[in-house]
Amino acid sequence: MSPARVAPASGLLALAFALALAVAWVAATGRVPAYVLPPPAEVGAALLGFFTRAQRAMHLGATLAHISAAIVLSFVLGAALAFAAHYARWSAPAIHQRLSPFLSAFSGIGWTLLAVIWFGVSSLSVVFSIVAVLLPFAIVNLREGLLALDAELTEMGASFGRDPWRSWRLLVLPALLPITAATLRIMFGVAWKVTLTAELFGGGRGLGYLINMARQDYDTATIFAVILLIIGIVTLADRLLFAPLERLCTRQFGSAA
Amino acid sequence: MKPQTPVDQASGLAGRSWGMWLADALVVLAIAAWAAGASRLPDFVLPGPQAVGLRLLDLFTDPEFFFHTLASTLRVMLSVLLALLIGSGLALAVRALPVLEGLIGGLLQPFLSAFPSIGWAILAAIWFEPGHGSIVFVQVAILVPFCLINMGEGLRQMDREMLEMATSFTRKRARIALQVGLPLLVPYMMGALRMAYGVAWKIALVAELLGSTSGLGFLMLRAQGSADLTTVLAACMAIIALFFAGERLLLDPLARRLGGR
Repeated sequence: MSPARVAPASGLLALAFALALAVAWVAATGRVPAYVLPPPAEVGAALLGFFTRAQRAMHLGATLAHISAAIVLSFVLGAALAFAAHYARWSAPAIHQRLSPFLSAFSGIGWTLLAVIWFGVSSLSVVFSIVAVLLPFAIVNLREGLLALDAELTEMGASFGRDPWRSWRLLVLPALLPITAATLRIMFGVAWKVTLTAELFGGGRGLGYLINMARQDYDTATIFAVILLIIGIVTLADRLLFAPLERLCTRQFGSAA
Repeated sequence: MKPQTPVDQASGLAGRSWGMWLADALVVLAIAAWAAGASRLPDFVLPGPQAVGLRLLDLFTDPEFFFHTLASTLRVMLSVLLALLIGSGLALAVRALPVLEGLIGGLLQPFLSAFPSIGWAILAAIWFEPGHGSIVFVQVAILVPFCLINMGEGLRQMDREMLEMATSFTRKRARIALQVGLPLLVPYMMGALRMAYGVAWKIALVAELLGSTSGLGFLMLRAQGSADLTTVLAACMAIIALFFAGERLLLDPLARRLGGR
């Protein structure tokens, strides 16, 4: 049962299944109403619209902007809190045993509905609710990274120089890079899970807004196109950006374990 | 699982670090600040802790509210169990027939992982009659990839030498699976359960926002529509309470029982 012998057959089977699914989809055209299962050609045209029609490209750009802003904000906030808890021990229980579990258990749609009341239907509401959902992930992951920091490494740094900032920059920061990459990867995945919901209820633009308009118009082709677009973006970004980044950081700066 | 910091270990009043006291003081302070802020703001912007607390009580005692709490709770439990069964089934299928790896691990899992959760909710609203079945479908679709990843990892990490040793004792494969394989899988199954349970309350509740007439998600959306922020906040608190109650009263005891074999 060597993986090498199984791999080609396994890949073929997956390909065959995907093809069978595509054939079934084409065959279903005309047999089921288009609002239940839109024909592939319509979905393809809707998908293409994201790259040719300015308005659709704008919604895609808005979603990407919401997600980037939210990831940057929640990472910076989470890092600040995780560092505070690590270096100012007295704040650790407040952060790790009160704030972080509270945020971890808070419902994503709860944040969105509250944000709409507090900030109105706007990008601020969308970014706020994504940040609220992502923050606990950042705190928990960076805490693990800080706990795993090698105490001997820090001691060695202290023996080479008195400048704590220098040893922090040259030793601690690189040692944290692998967990930073892993954290960003997780946050990116989670962000896509909640962003559309936040945009649907709280945003005036973005793919979530678009999908809501399409839903009201029974434009299922656009709904399919948005879903396929997101699956494509998430999968490609994960494989081409985040996974290599994580591997690079781990190889370059990771511990032997 | 996580390394314990000295602060985690300090328990009991005598051994309580003053960081713990500070943490509790901050919670009290936060509630006081909430009360002070609420007294200056209208109720539809920020209702006070007292009003939210009373509504939270209603969610568990008033029959009309409790109906929604119960509906969400039962559906979450059912969805988590179904997702665990389906995820485990798929992971086991790959284990039994490695040729399925490309299809399930290479195609299905990334597809389900990247599928936006609200996408399932919208498609279910188009495809199915509104009702419990439609909501459970959406929740299961959201939760399955989490269970599949965890159970697949458990099966991959399974100690082959342990299984080989078991094979040398008996030929009954069912007995080996039950007495050796299953205990080895328990930590991953608990991991999958915890993950799915958390995601169910935090994210999968979107299933109740479209085409539903029951549940805390529906209640929150309806309350928000009528600017009843008291109920929105109380529902959020109820979700936090239910999440921790499930962890402490169901998952922790289960993990202890299964781990003690």
